[in-house]
Amino acid sequence: MAAPSQIRASLTDPQFALLIVSGVIVFHLIIIIIPLGYSFWLSLHETNVILRSQDYVGFDKWGEALTEEDTIFATLRSLYFAGVSVVLSFVLSLGIALVLNQEFPGRSFLRAMILLPWAVSEVVTATMWTIILEPTWGVMTGIFPGTLWISSDWAMFWVSLAFVWHMAPLGAFFFLAALQTIPKDLYNCARIDRAGMFSRFQYVTLPHIRYAVLIVLVVVTVEAFRQFDLIYAMTGGGPGTVTQILPLLIFRYNFQFSQYGLAAASSYILIIIATILAIAYFVALTQKKTQTRKNIESKKPIRANA
Amino acid sequence: MISRREKLFIGISAVVVGLWTFIPFFWMYYASFMTEPEIQQGIFRAVENPTVDNYSRILGLSKVEAIFGGQTKSIAMGFLNSFIVALPTAIIGTAIAAIAGYAFGRFSFPAKTPLLFTLLMTRVLPPIAILIPYFTLFREVGLVGNHGGLILTYLTGVIPLLTWVLMGYFATLPVEMERAARLDGCSRLGVLWHIILPMAAPGISAAFIIAFLFSWNELLFGIILTGGTSAQTLSPALLAISPLTATGYSGMALFSAASGLSILPPLLLALFFQRYITRLNIVDPVTFRDT
Repeated sequence: MAAPSQIRASLTDPQFALLIVSGVIVFHLIIIIIPLGYSFWLSLHETNVILRSQDYVGFDKWGEALTEEDTIFATLRSLYFAGVSVVLSFVLSLGIALVLNQEFPGRSFLRAMILLPWAVSEVVTATMWTIILEPTWGVMTGIFPGTLWISSDWAMFWVSLAFVWHMAPLGAFFFLAALQTIPKDLYNCARIDRAGMFSRFQYVTLPHIRYAVLIVLVVVTVEAFRQFDLIYAMTGGGPGTVTQILPLLIFRYNFQFSQYGLAAASSYILIIIATILAIAYFVALTQKKTQTRKNIESKKPIRANA
Repeated sequence: MISRREKLFIGISAVVVGLWTFIPFFWMYYASFMTEPEIQQGIFRAVENPTVDNYSRILGLSKVEAIFGGQTKSIAMGFLNSFIVALPTAIIGTAIAAIAGYAFGRFSFPAKTPLLFTLLMTRVLPPIAILIPYFTLFREVGLVGNHGGLILTYLTGVIPLLTWVLMGYFATLPVEMERAARLDGCSRLGVLWHIILPMAAPGISAAFIIAFLFSWNELLFGIILTGGTSAQTLSPALLAISPLTATGYSGMALFSAASGLSILPPLLLALFFQRYITRLNIVDPVTFRDT
């Protein structure tokens, strides 16, 4: 596809665009890089709050962060949280979108309402799910008295589920937007070819929403690693430390224990994980794009089913 | 053409989706009409005497508050402060992102993809990682404990996201009118203002709402930059009275009412927003052409 939407670049157009874009980016870099640099400096120093001294210790704090049991467990919990959230959000948001794409009475009402969980803040999401899950007076205990599955072994799963409730509507809307670009005729053809629900999904729907799949994966992963508010408000990392993911631990290192160097070094673990994922996704996004286009254009999905 | 079995399946799925969405809302509002002793006996039961006492305490209408020194006043202040922070963030953020999104969406220029990537990367960074240095630096320049520091922080959070959203949206708009306006001697920003913005009203509204919701809901920077001060926003104010934390002093009933009130502005905005979001072009930005 040639670019009909793009104004043919006159000599000054690129300069104009570059000027504006650089302005915005420089603003962001200043406000990001200075703190990151300062944080790096902190991670190389032992800060003593009482003596108000800061001694250079090299990469000692990094070594400490990488070997400290708390940090390792918190990192694993962050990975678990992101993993569970991504898988569940993906399945759920695709399911919601597929349902909302069908015809049924009250569809426009449900579509209007479906986004509400996303608009609710993490703090209030935490309130709602605590009311449901609280072991002594919560709703679940009221319905199924004496069940043990609201134990601390499952705490990590329940906070992930609350996060999924909050995030899935957004993914559902991305999927819905993609589903609506699929021509209705394709489904009708598939029906005539006696394709069942699942083969229609596989051969008609899936090829059209591949790009949306990637976007949803990116958004949920990024948000999961950024997430702090929900767990801080819901459990504060407890019971004990079973839901203490890395951002919460960093927060405690810094604001509870005044371990600034350790907090800064640990935060670099988080930055490195997030950056690697982001680069991987960005590469996938920019490349999959052209591939998906080609796939859709070259393959007539219906024929695959005949 | 749709078989009855499929219809039934779709109907049941729709009900399940509806329940999954609404049940948490239902129980929170249900709890907000109970008294604290009732909640402690279990929420899953019929309420004998539903009460609006929790709401009147939050809204400052109750005599109990006068006795206890009006601790829930912080919630009312939180509402005010959140508006003061979220409105400018949404307006300035949308304006800057519209110009940047226009540049990214309409023009090709050297190093476009790396620049876009750099901008989006700032969004990927976990907030906790920049929070610690922010706090120290902001304290030096007097941006802790007031709205300015928070607005500045939220702007850096929303601009990359909104630029991405608007870039995709602008790319779907027809280019002919712009060309005509340019030929008639309109400047580039003039084109953006007179031609693009009127056409892009749905996308702009969506961007505004995203920015507003983000600022309204954010907790972490709110705690660190405004927590406990007179500029404290709503999320930190809620957390400060939350019975789920060690220091919170309210009961679950009062907290449910405060939470229930706090989400009303976002819920209203989200209802407007859903009309526009399906028209956004986030899912398929035509703009990944590095020419």
